[in-house]
Amino acid sequence: MGATGAELKVRDLVIEYSSGGYPVRPIDGLSLDASGGELVLLLGASGCGKTTLLSVLAAILTPACGTAEVAGIEVTTLRGNALTQYRRRTVGVVFQAFNLVPSLTAVENVMVPLRAAGMRRRPARERAVALLKQVDLEHRLHHRPSDMSGGQQQRVAIARALAHEPPVLLADEPTAHLDYIQVEGVLKLIRGLADEGHLVVVATHDERMIPLADRVVNLTPRADTSPRAPEKLDLDPGELVFRQGDRGDLVYVVESGRVELFRTRDDGTEEPIAVIVGGNYFGELAPMFGLQRSASARAVDATTLTGYGLRDFREKYHLTSEARVLSDAAD
Amino acid sequence: MLFVSLRDLQWRRRRFLIGVLAAGLVFALTVIMSGVSASFHNEIRRAVGAFHVDQWVVPNSVSGPFTSTQVFPESEASKVSALPGVTHAEPVALFRSTVTTDKVNDINLIGIVPNGIAQPTIVDGHGVRTRGDLVTDRSLGLALGRRVTLAGHEFTVVGHTKGITYFAGTPAAFVTIADLQASALDGAPLATAIVVDGTLSAPPPGFHVLSNPRVEADLGRPMRHATQTISFITVLLWIVAAGIIGSVLYLQAIERSRDFAVFKATGVTTRTLLSGLAFQAVVLALCSAIAATLLAFAIKPLMSMSVEVPRSAYVALPLVAIVIGLVASLVALRRAVTVDPALAFGG
Repeated sequence: MGATGAELKVRDLVIEYSSGGYPVRPIDGLSLDASGGELVLLLGASGCGKTTLLSVLAAILTPACGTAEVAGIEVTTLRGNALTQYRRRTVGVVFQAFNLVPSLTAVENVMVPLRAAGMRRRPARERAVALLKQVDLEHRLHHRPSDMSGGQQQRVAIARALAHEPPVLLADEPTAHLDYIQVEGVLKLIRGLADEGHLVVVATHDERMIPLADRVVNLTPRADTSPRAPEKLDLDPGELVFRQGDRGDLVYVVESGRVELFRTRDDGTEEPIAVIVGGNYFGELAPMFGLQRSASARAVDATTLTGYGLRDFREKYHLTSEARVLSDAAD
Repeated sequence: MLFVSLRDLQWRRRRFLIGVLAAGLVFALTVIMSGVSASFHNEIRRAVGAFHVDQWVVPNSVSGPFTSTQVFPESEASKVSALPGVTHAEPVALFRSTVTTDKVNDINLIGIVPNGIAQPTIVDGHGVRTRGDLVTDRSLGLALGRRVTLAGHEFTVVGHTKGITYFAGTPAAFVTIADLQASALDGAPLATAIVVDGTLSAPPPGFHVLSNPRVEADLGRPMRHATQTISFITVLLWIVAAGIIGSVLYLQAIERSRDFAVFKATGVTTRTLLSGLAFQAVVLALCSAIAATLLAFAIKPLMSMSVEVPRSAYVALPLVAIVIGLVASLVALRRAVTVDPALAFGG
């Protein structure tokens, strides 16, 4: 395979976009290295930024900051013809929903990127047929997507992604629409491509793929339930407890004073959510589910808080306290 | 990459066919409209040419022999005959009338000198020779030998002309000027115009001379509003056709948004996408033009008016259709341009 030099270097990558009027930062300071022959798994729950990261690597989305170098090409600055050539030659993308063109047969779907790159009809067809044979679909060359199973469609999508023999293959939830029989075939195929020298980056929430991977990047940190001494915080009025978008591993109980929860909109304005008074707690969902803080917390008065680790919160406070949950919105 | 566009049209062939038929019908109507408009012009040329004369002499207060009527003594024709440059001059009289068959038919009744210079070209039978003879245009539908009553006088159809109509297809009917005077002027020896062979330099006092082109222009004047309205309706029909083609293409662009996103994400250039959509617009427009030609041939005989579609209309139709198709596809093209390749990553 011509997949040598398939290096991936991601440094301090921050991806931010607007969702419903609020800034969302699913990837915040990610760094990652991988090389040809590796199968890298981007693992995480829905909304954690797996597909967003793939979009950056496919040069479809521009990050807020940081760098992403694929096969020696800095993708965040690509424009015009360089961008087109990168998408054609350097990365092949396998989309979650297969995304085959319904009006085209299997062989025609694979021919699309070849013809778009200017290859003549006959060699493009020969190349497409060879690729479909490679993914064991020589008996489905002239079938339309609607006449094929999910697994077969996925293999056509893989063949299409390999059309220009790119060194890097990006796959978004390749097992999402497949039954277990089809999954097996697709997983073997993906692993085989990595073994042939491709750098294969797979975004998935399917933990069954972990044993196949050479490297796993967990984009959803697991809840930290290890014992941890409570932390006491004395805050001046206006002082921040945490910011919207921060990772969090503490649940806060207001001992005295008041804390206001608010969201920051795209335009920088603040949207008040709740004011937490003494005896109540806030910020429990982020550590529980590995989510980022969905709002900021700020002291209104001179305030004293106690921050508990998740385990302590559950064992020592939450299960025995009559404190009311007022802070769901903060998570 | 055009094969992708072609396959897409095949894939959505029912919608494509409906679009072709709908746009084709609209284009066919534009062809019919141009045929009606052309027939207005052609019948004027034929009606004026039917008299085979060089000039017309009418009273000063009259703009033309066909559009307004002021009678004068027919003896004025003899005076004109004697003027320098005139080879021959005869009186004619033109009136509007009706002839009743199984229905009331409007006719343009023209009184001429038997066997004179204003005798029209006869395609069946013979010309007006004696009193009681009636030569009608074929479009009136009166068979040779048929007896009809005009203004209380009996006439026999002795000959047919072809295509001599004016005022939007109203057929001409020729009788002797004496019969017309008896029918319409109570027998008075009057005329409404003098037809001239030769070139009259100075008309008699109280008259002016009109060339054939000026007579045609005068006869076309009452039809100007009709032809302008037809032109306006034709433009509206083009807009409707553009709307149909644009709707079909825009709908396809919406449905193919995911395809476009995937194409962009895999390195297909926007220009390639646009050329594919433009290709679809051209195919749709050309097929509509072909359908329009066939439909126009089918519709034409059903029209009660004369429809004379100029050959140039059939030649221009595909070109107009392509331009309309490309203009109509602009909205769809814009849609394709704005598709975000990130859409391909949706589940």
